[in-house]
Amino acid sequence: MSKSLPEQTRTPAPAGVFTLVITGAPYSSQAPSTALHFARAALAANKRIDRVFLYGDGVHLASSLSAPPSDELNLSEAWAAFLTENSIPGVACIASALRRGLVNEAEMHRYELSASNLREPFEIAGLGEWVDSAASESRILYFHKGG
Amino acid sequence: MSTLIIIDQSPYGSWEGREALDMAFSLAAFDQPVSLLFCGAGVNWLRKGQDAGKIQQKSIERNLAAAPVFGVEALFADRRACDQYGLAGTDLLDHVSITDVGPDFTGRFDHVAFAG
Amino acid sequence: MITFRTLHILNKSPAHGRYSLCLSAIGPEDGLLLTENGVLAVTQPLGISTERCFALAPDLEARGLSAQISRNQAVSFDDMVDLTASADNVISW
Repeated sequence: MSKSLPEQTRTPAPAGVFTLVITGAPYSSQAPSTALHFARAALAANKRIDRVFLYGDGVHLASSLSAPPSDELNLSEAWAAFLTENSIPGVACIASALRRGLVNEAEMHRYELSASNLREPFEIAGLGEWVDSAASESRILYFHKGG
Repeated sequence: MSTLIIIDQSPYGSWEGREALDMAFSLAAFDQPVSLLFCGAGVNWLRKGQDAGKIQQKSIERNLAAAPVFGVEALFADRRACDQYGLAGTDLLDHVSITDVGPDFTGRFDHVAFAG
Repeated sequence: MITFRTLHILNKSPAHGRYSLCLSAIGPEDGLLLTENGVLAVTQPLGISTERCFALAPDLEARGLSAQISRNQAVSFDDMVDLTASADNVISW
């Protein structure tokens, strides 16, 4: 930062790898939008994002069926494009996703559901993906609903 | 890397608390150190005598009683919140430690997270 | 650049229960970053020194609050990346 700030007391190595966890749903919270702005700024600062994990209501971001009015940002589409362009894995928690009706083709067949609606390049996986980040050097940032 | 999962939502009325518990159990299942802190309305998770059958939910009391068995290191309850909701030590589930939440407490953990 | 022990990111308005919980957890070596509805905190007494308190400029602007805070405290997403990368720990409330 270019601002004049108080003298520093410690100089640990700054975090180089981030995991972003989004728990706020699009259109009911600002979380996916704030997270996307942060993610773009992080890559511009040469940070790496090892994965984006959707949890709780955040899984709605991975829906291929959201159709907001044409003068509003399509957050699912914007996130999907960002993940694809930058080859960042986007993972929706399977337990959160199945409860909320967000399924890929494999889960559609397994549970004999009438349709699947997971948007590419999002994947569905367990909380183990988040545990993997927690056990690594990644800095985990959470984007919850506001209120 | 030690994790503190904080639950500040009351039980049964929202899913956030259950999903927080899933996070804690997942860390524990992979042998990662994790503790739970209940504060705000979240302390009501810790009240003895819950029976959620008539609202078609699974009792949380049983899940929480199993937390130490699954490897969750400690269950903490915020003292102010316990006072606010009329919870004395004897009203709480076993294995719960009452604590004062402040920078000294949260500073003991490398990673502090809410489920939502 | 100042290095905080814990950077607290607060996106809740003063009406939310987690707002006061966050403020009570801020230690003397910590920093506070207000985002989303959290920027409404600039209208309230916070009891934290201005050099440890920041607010996300786009969220201030959106809510008509840019004039309520000094220019040094209003930060960009680039600054947010620096703040979160350099703190020892980050808590998102």
